[in-house]
Amino acid sequence: MSGPAVVVEGLTKRFRVPRREAGLKAAFAALFRRDYTEVTAIRELSFAIEAGERVGFLGPNGAGKTTTLKILAGLLYPTAGTVRVSGYVPQTRHHGFLRSISLVMGQKRQLSWDLPAVDTFELNRVVFEIDTPTYKRRLGELVERLEIGEVMRQPVRTLSLGERMKCELAAALLHGPSILFLDEPTIGMDVAMQLSLREFIRTYNENHGATVILTSHYMEDVAALCPRIIVIDDGNLRFDGSIEALTRRIRPLRRVSVRAVDLPPSERLAQLGSVVDTGDGRLTLDVDPGRVPEVVSVLVQLPDCRDLEVSDAPLEEVMRELFSRSRADAGTASQPEGAA
Amino acid sequence: MKPRKWLAIFRLGLAEAIAYRTALFVWILASCFPLVALALWAGMAAKSPVGDYTQADFVGYFVTAFLVRQLTSSWVVWDLDRQIRTGELSTLMLRPVHPLVHHLVANIAALPVRLLLALPLGLAVLLFVGAGTLDTSLVTLTMIVPALVGGWLIVFISQVIIGCLAFWVTSATGIYDFWLGFFVVLSGYVVPISLMPEGVVAVVDLLPFHASFGFIVELATGKLATGEAWRGLGVQWVWVGLHALMARLCWRRGLRVYGAVGA
Repeated sequence: MSGPAVVVEGLTKRFRVPRREAGLKAAFAALFRRDYTEVTAIRELSFAIEAGERVGFLGPNGAGKTTTLKILAGLLYPTAGTVRVSGYVPQTRHHGFLRSISLVMGQKRQLSWDLPAVDTFELNRVVFEIDTPTYKRRLGELVERLEIGEVMRQPVRTLSLGERMKCELAAALLHGPSILFLDEPTIGMDVAMQLSLREFIRTYNENHGATVILTSHYMEDVAALCPRIIVIDDGNLRFDGSIEALTRRIRPLRRVSVRAVDLPPSERLAQLGSVVDTGDGRLTLDVDPGRVPEVVSVLVQLPDCRDLEVSDAPLEEVMRELFSRSRADAGTASQPEGAA
Repeated sequence: MKPRKWLAIFRLGLAEAIAYRTALFVWILASCFPLVALALWAGMAAKSPVGDYTQADFVGYFVTAFLVRQLTSSWVVWDLDRQIRTGELSTLMLRPVHPLVHHLVANIAALPVRLLLALPLGLAVLLFVGAGTLDTSLVTLTMIVPALVGGWLIVFISQVIIGCLAFWVTSATGIYDFWLGFFVVLSGYVVPISLMPEGVVAVVDLLPFHASFGFIVELATGKLATGEAWRGLGVQWVWVGLHALMARLCWRRGLRVYGAVGA
């Protein structure tokens, strides 16, 4: 595939949503006259994603992440703007396009509920026209990596959430998609399962050169998997670039934390940096990057100093601050930050 | 679409029909209404024929009606309504097979299981009340298969059209219940239409309800002259074409407003 895997230009999506007041009277009135309100889910979004990239879509609930993903996968029609995925217009749902992508939704299933997952795998083998040797090889790899040898033969309804999600992922990858859309793939999973799924997605991207586009409420998923993030808020592009670039822009201070028996007085701490927390024998400071060596040298002098850490502010905090700035900017035309 | 794809969806549909065999059997029992109608009409015709129907004719008509209903049934309206409302349709839209083709094949796949479960019941009734008059003339044997296919297609496609309304309304199945009311009265499901007043028969005969059901039963029970049978088949397939055009329009327009709700 030549050129970017995904090109989005001026994408806008508006929904017409019925609305009514609460109560029986309003319910009867709605039978004869329905009121509609127009909701703009995405506003003139533009970005491009190169083949093989891992990109995370971040934003609060209702920001337009999933809507964007659904348009990219050809499920929704844009109201305005153009979209190209693998060189295709997704909404034509050309078979070549459908064979080149896969969409995994953590809260949706493609597996037949009352049949074993292996029946859906077999259906996918035929409808995606996968030749038998390739199918066997891919299924073998997926079964081994996802450890689903036993569970794929049980009716899907009897599987745990994690087992079902692994089978969903196997079904989505059997045809070897070059672009993988993942919408909240780890939702509801325990930490061990999240880690294993994350690792699997990373390996799939590295081994197959597949483009991965991910949305997740778990910032750890995005931080661990995606060198690039696209932040959407209220349908607007707020940032496009690396997590480091976002952190430098929003929270340029480095976070230094240390455990010590006897912490310096607060006046002295204030000279070192901005105090975030001093509870439970642990001191956490936000420090100007240029002063980090100086502050560290002071902290290592503290009695019984241990567990010294220098890090960026957690992504959650960076995002919270970005969104609160977006809210503050609301009403004024704001340009996306970052360097896409 | 390649036959292998049809076969794969057929196998999955068959596997689901087998997995839901108890529910399917209960559904078959629930569609036994023609056998109830049989008891009523056969009782009324015990002493003298009702219109052009003798008691034996009623037995033949309603047992055939029961089996034709099994062979021309579809449930795509419920599937489409749910899939559109909940966003489950997205799964089918992501496969390189048209979602309606998927439904078509999956619905056909359940027919053998339905017939397997319904045939013993039909045969038992025939044995109990005495064999009715099933027509085995060459014309009927030639036409019965295209008539059954046409009847099934009208039922299936009309359900697709109504199911597609879920793109715009909250529940399409409520509209289908309304449609079903017309079907029950005008298709020949509870009363052979030739027993209706003459003026009504002329109109009902041209409607899709009768074309999808009563026409096939009348054909199979030898109630139609050769000319009437060909005319009936013609009317039926015109309805198939009109339904297909309407379904295409509803589907294409509907996809533009599809919300793919949920996750």
